[in-house]
Amino acid sequence: MKNIKSIAIGAALVTAAGGMGCGGDDNNGPLGDVDALIVLQRPKRNDMGDIFQYTSYKAGARLVKLSPPTADGKLETLFPTPAQGTEFAAADVSGYDISFDAKTIVFSAKLADNQRYGLFVLTLDSGNVEQIPTDPGRDYVTPIFLPGDRIMFTTNSVVEAGAKQHMDEYERGTTLQLGRINLDGTGEELGPRNLSHRTFPTLVSDGRVMFTNWDHLGGMNAGHLLFVNQDMQELREGFGKEASGASNSTLKAQEISPGRFVAIATSRDRTIQSGALIDIRLGTPSTTDGVLSAARNMSEANASFSVLTPDVPRGREPSADTVGRYYDAYPLNAKEKPDLLVAWADGPVESSVLGAANLSADFGVYLYDSARQSRLPILNDPEMWDIFARPLQTRTAPPIVGSATDASLGGAALIGALNVYDSTMKDFTPGSIYGVRIIEGFSSEEGFPRMFGSTMFEGQAQLGLAKVASDGSWLAKVPANVPLAMQAIDNFGMSLLPEPVWFSARAGESRVCGGCHEDRVKTTTVDPGLTQAFAIGPTDARATALRNTRLSSLADLANSNLITTQNGKTIGDERLVGMAWDKALQPVFDAKCISCHDGTPSAANPTYSITTADGASVQWTFDLRGVKKPLIIDGMDLAGEWSASYFSIAGPDMEALERGNLMVSPEFKVYMEPQNARGSILIQKVNPTQLYPAPSATRAFPTSPHSSVGYPELTSTEFLKLILAADMGVNFYARENNPGVNTY
Amino acid sequence: MTNIRTKIAAVAFMLLAATPAFAGKGGSAALINSAIQSRSVDAIIAEVERAEGLNCGECVQLITNLTEDSRYEVREVAAWWFAKRPAMAKMLAEGFVQDLGSGNSLAVRNAADFLGATITFTSLPQLRSAITRTDLNADAKLALVRAVKVMAHIDGNFVLLTAMGDADASVRAAAVNAWREIRGQTSASPVVALLADSDATVRAEAATIVGAMLDATARPSLERLLATDTSPVVRRNAAWALGKLGQIGSRDVLYAATSDSSGLVRMTAKAALATLR
Repeated sequence: MKNIKSIAIGAALVTAAGGMGCGGDDNNGPLGDVDALIVLQRPKRNDMGDIFQYTSYKAGARLVKLSPPTADGKLETLFPTPAQGTEFAAADVSGYDISFDAKTIVFSAKLADNQRYGLFVLTLDSGNVEQIPTDPGRDYVTPIFLPGDRIMFTTNSVVEAGAKQHMDEYERGTTLQLGRINLDGTGEELGPRNLSHRTFPTLVSDGRVMFTNWDHLGGMNAGHLLFVNQDMQELREGFGKEASGASNSTLKAQEISPGRFVAIATSRDRTIQSGALIDIRLGTPSTTDGVLSAARNMSEANASFSVLTPDVPRGREPSADTVGRYYDAYPLNAKEKPDLLVAWADGPVESSVLGAANLSADFGVYLYDSARQSRLPILNDPEMWDIFARPLQTRTAPPIVGSATDASLGGAALIGALNVYDSTMKDFTPGSIYGVRIIEGFSSEEGFPRMFGSTMFEGQAQLGLAKVASDGSWLAKVPANVPLAMQAIDNFGMSLLPEPVWFSARAGESRVCGGCHEDRVKTTTVDPGLTQAFAIGPTDARATALRNTRLSSLADLANSNLITTQNGKTIGDERLVGMAWDKALQPVFDAKCISCHDGTPSAANPTYSITTADGASVQWTFDLRGVKKPLIIDGMDLAGEWSASYFSIAGPDMEALERGNLMVSPEFKVYMEPQNARGSILIQKVNPTQLYPAPSATRAFPTSPHSSVGYPELTSTEFLKLILAADMGVNFYARENNPGVNTY
Repeated sequence: MTNIRTKIAAVAFMLLAATPAFAGKGGSAALINSAIQSRSVDAIIAEVERAEGLNCGECVQLITNLTEDSRYEVREVAAWWFAKRPAMAKMLAEGFVQDLGSGNSLAVRNAADFLGATITFTSLPQLRSAITRTDLNADAKLALVRAVKVMAHIDGNFVLLTAMGDADASVRAAAVNAWREIRGQTSASPVVALLADSDATVRAEAATIVGAMLDATARPSLERLLATDTSPVVRRNAAWALGKLGQIGSRDVLYAATSDSSGLVRMTAKAALATLR
């Protein structure tokens, strides 16, 4: 049955392409000066739904040469061949790149199910294959050549000694990060880590590398294009953020001309890493000698795109017959509507539909005329994915682009800004920003369960607070290679603006920005030596502290008077790192709140009714005690293993309510809003007092504080703990209550 | 996170939309059931993932059944679904813990995979006990090792150490492979002896681990493997490990390996030579 279905789809392809003719002997056509194509053939599969899947293995992949590049061209297997050795016979190959002189190919291959993906170099003249030495226990994929005889790749190998690689909580995978190695196998370097995946690097003519970065911080869940230098420093936005993207994820970018890229626009998952083709223009388009480029005024803010395949879905719905999805594209020219080598599959290219029908997508190589939106078939083996077709020809190597490193940082990194008030995301009131909070992110790899709480935020730890100087500048020394997020905070310690993504820096790297997400169109001359922050010196945000020491002591968490003053300034606040709910927050509730908020229905403890579609109803009463109270709906306990106080304040999993079609009456109040202490009901209710530069009686909000009508007043320490809990995602777990460090 | 009013409005919009099966994450018991009927691993994973946050009593039985599926990927995603519902995961874990002690091999395999994928640390004592059972087949022991690897807790070391002495090579290889994944693991010394294992996969895994964990006592064994092992994968891993150790005494054997018959070994040996000091 499977064969019949496959043949039917193959027949549909032929029909769809019928009448287009064969342009292989047209020397003026887009492939006219191409003698041969290299194509990767992988056995068809259906286990690569999400865009970051990299471990799929099926023996029998081939790297082939098609010469001439036409449907009737001669197909020659370059790898594996019997002469290369029996150890390669069962290889799968996941990606490759052709060297600048077109004499060698670097590829990632896995030789058996019990091995990992490694890197290999194939010399085309001799057919000789050599493995580039990498950790045999880790995967190395998506290799590309860099100038200077280097290879860049992505890997799940860990840059930080003794640490485990970050886990991606959504796809349950170990994340990939960037790295590079010399072509002779020496000098492996691993780049700084994102909290989620980085994949599909591609070399750009200006010497930088563009890649897809999975941005996941709370509500942000998207794959964006970013730039780095070849040494994996100077990370910059490329395309897709700030609502500029064409889809949830943008991947497999290839440069068409300076400032212009073709890429796949699609959903994160279920689309077999394929989608619509988009033409991205990062700057102002201009045409010279028929080449349309967009290198002037390049900026994410100036970026635009056009869809080259309008009928192809950019979400994860199944694609229609004859529409299908595109796996990859490679530009053959830079016309307004470029000609592309593409891998395309017909029908519903969506993993669950294909899986349910026991089918796999059948990608074949086509020449795509984006002006006419027509495909000319070149190669399609119905049992294989024919993908990543590339002309076998020389290309110009871009310049070697590197960055300065500062050995005086002692293995740490330096971050900062010239003027935090320079921002396109918020109009700050002059003088309103006291400092910049630096937060470290981590995930379940440190020993946590699959979630840190009901809010779906990752684990967080406050590393430090860099005071903003009077000229708006700030600097901080931070741990290298660690995912970091920043928040501009006010005199009460509350976030005014959280940066919605994680970033990181290499050891010795200095990353000083113009502002707090400054205007990307303006030219910013970054010279930190001119700022007051530079004169003062950077704040040490646990820059050299070991990972397992970047946490609060339990004594500090239990101390309600940790914050004091010294020489008229607040001290002690820096000792609050992670806000473990039961260790940091519950003592506050126990001391100041539960005498009233004890779960007894009353005006102080509102009761909510949650009703299912079939009319069953349960109640939940506000309760700030540390006890566990079940809230069972449809056989499921929504309150789970969380304490009653956590569930009462963080609220239920909103997605569970939404998708379960549950009715809540009255409207369930969420007392703490993640990353928004200032907007949280609880914080407004207690109305914290000023914390910086020194504690004072000034209140954050003009309303009367809860304490004004006879309820207990909170200390500065207690206020800040509540604020930090909110601004760091309203998690239940932090390093201070990590179940993974207990003895069992 | 948006406030609940916005979210409920969004849900209402979603429910009104015509394509509930593919709008957003919109999973359902019917879709999960359909995927189960298809027997497709990818379809099952896709639909269970879509039901990540779904409040769905009907799903509970369906996904509970999946915890006993014959395919690990299916059991894993089923456990993940329960891990998103901590109270329910805890309740199920109690039953699975019982299975570790008294279930047959199939029950132990399923139990270990559930407890591992839900990161149920409290089951570590029972996992340690289960690995000493003499009536379990290799599949069950592999699952016990897998559970410890996923939890990565040092209190699982006993499971790995016991498994390293198992009669089945696949169990030994899995245990060696898991050794360095344990948080706080500082010594590879238990692995060194397995460089002389009769199975090539075990030797290859052991070479990787002692190299990655920089166990200098392994150097003579690694040099012997590089010079004489019949498996190119073992020789490659030994060369890589010797490069990590970086001891000048390995120069001759590494130099000889630069003309090894296998393309897996030659460049690895050359690069290792460059690290010697």
